[in-house]
Amino acid sequence: MKFKILIVEDDPVIQTQLKNLLAGNGYEAETITDFQNVMEQVKSFAPHLLLLDIKLPGNDGFMICSQIRAVSDMPVIFVTSSNTDMDELNSIMLGGDAFMTKPYNTAILLAKIDALLKRVYGAGQKEILTWNGATLHLESGFIEHDGRKAELTKNEMKILYYLFRHAGEICSRNDIIDFLWDSQLYIDDNALSVNMTRIREKLAGIGLMDFIQTKHRQGYRLKN
Amino acid sequence: MNGKQYLKNQLPVISLNLFGMLVLTLFLLASGNNIQSVLFIAFVWFFTVICYLTSAFFLRKRRLDKLLRMTEQLEERYLIAEIMEVPERADEQVFYRVMKMAEKSMLEKIGEIQRERKEYKEYIEQWVHEAKTPITAMKLLCENAHFDIAHSDIHRSDFTRNMLTELEHMNRYAEQALYYARSEHAEKDYSIRETALADVIRDAIADNKYMLRQNHVNISIDTMESNVYTDDKWLRFILDQLISNAVKYRTEQPALHFFTVEKCEDRGNLKHRIVLDGSNLQAVEKHGHKGNQLFLGIEDNGIGISSADLPRIFEKGFTGENGRIIQSSTGIGLYLCKRLCDKLGIGLSASSEGKGTTIWLSFQINDFIAEVQGE
Repeated sequence: MKFKILIVEDDPVIQTQLKNLLAGNGYEAETITDFQNVMEQVKSFAPHLLLLDIKLPGNDGFMICSQIRAVSDMPVIFVTSSNTDMDELNSIMLGGDAFMTKPYNTAILLAKIDALLKRVYGAGQKEILTWNGATLHLESGFIEHDGRKAELTKNEMKILYYLFRHAGEICSRNDIIDFLWDSQLYIDDNALSVNMTRIREKLAGIGLMDFIQTKHRQGYRLKN
Repeated sequence: MNGKQYLKNQLPVISLNLFGMLVLTLFLLASGNNIQSVLFIAFVWFFTVICYLTSAFFLRKRRLDKLLRMTEQLEERYLIAEIMEVPERADEQVFYRVMKMAEKSMLEKIGEIQRERKEYKEYIEQWVHEAKTPITAMKLLCENAHFDIAHSDIHRSDFTRNMLTELEHMNRYAEQALYYARSEHAEKDYSIRETALADVIRDAIADNKYMLRQNHVNISIDTMESNVYTDDKWLRFILDQLISNAVKYRTEQPALHFFTVEKCEDRGNLKHRIVLDGSNLQAVEKHGHKGNQLFLGIEDNGIGISSADLPRIFEKGFTGENGRIIQSSTGIGLYLCKRLCDKLGIGLSASSEGKGTTIWLSFQINDFIAEVQGE
């Protein structure tokens, strides 16, 4: 099941871009176009989570939040450009679950959304990534192939996670490092090379030869 | 009040008396009085005048000195007319009225300027908030670039990365304007909360991710479990400025190291795993505050600050030697950091030994708050 997220935001570019971002990360996203009766649209779309701007034409975000709180407990994330103390305080008082200021870091926004959805609707099914007979166990931190297991460090785990998520595609070194930085692992180009070598050794140890292919000047790819 | 000048001012009175004395003496002599009684009368007159002038002088001097002292002690001196005694003398009353009028127009002017400043501050805040909408939109456009394109193996190009770096700069400048406006204002715009230092540092790094990546900065953060009482938004802004400085004044293979040192006053030694070298320890000990303190050190391996410039780096508009090397020095960033730190009660200092700079932020660890919360 895809989680549904409703975007209440009056800037058209941000609307579509947020929608693209959420859709690209496996959510079903919808935007509000008519700000006169936001509540009607909330009810008809029945989202799992709401991204709410404060400054809006018609009723402001605080008003909408308190109207929603009267009928529903769905998680609400305030996303706004005004970062005054009063706004933050108000958003908490009115039952907002998180407060983010623009321009937000998309990785942090996605992480917040994910954490809130998990907290409210339960963990859902465990994410198990499989590719060509190899299985990545996220919670326990190892990779399995043919009944043989290899323990992975945090860095190695994140790198493999990214490659598995984009299995079959070419992942550039820059994109991998970007992803690691978003996961608060600040490694540089050299460290990535070192990690890749170590991952390959471990994979070879459990019978996965040449599992990760190097595309010259482009990046890495999991073998099809 | 000066005696000589007082005498000078009383010259008409003195000369009038002298003239009267002279006329009386001549008259008395002419009417056949003996010289002794005439001299006696003249002496009594003279003595009376002297007595009057001296006593009048000291009485007035006492009153006026008191007024002067009162004014000097006053913080807002233009308000003196409010608290001074209302004078009884006719001429002094005129001056009193003049002062009252001057005070009133001063207050009006101050009120007007304060109102204008407040409006300007609000305008700046509003402007920054409005500018953030296009910044956000551009950032999303850049970060989403690979979702839009049908072929998913097209990646974030160098162009997009450069754009994202520039957007970070733009956002930092916009924030600088916002916090400058806020720091000028006496009003309290922050709220102190328990904040995990590590989280704020990670947020600040995330704000500058593309700039740091573009310049291949090697980042290391020591494990820190410490919480401090501060405003996380303000602290994040301060760290943003410090990070951007570290990148601005970088050398080859830049590195940035975040670490904490706890200092316990009663034991007088450092109770932390980190072994400090001599220079760092000195910098820590320069702070003479009482009680426990937590030092956050931000160490870079950049071009450093010369010892001549070091004491002045927090001055407004000061760019120093490094400013002549790097064109984009404004002398605003560190000045603003210092002002915000002062407001938040965070100590800010820097140490540099020719190469590399360490900025120290010192937080008071108030046991009282922990005790109250522990109840």
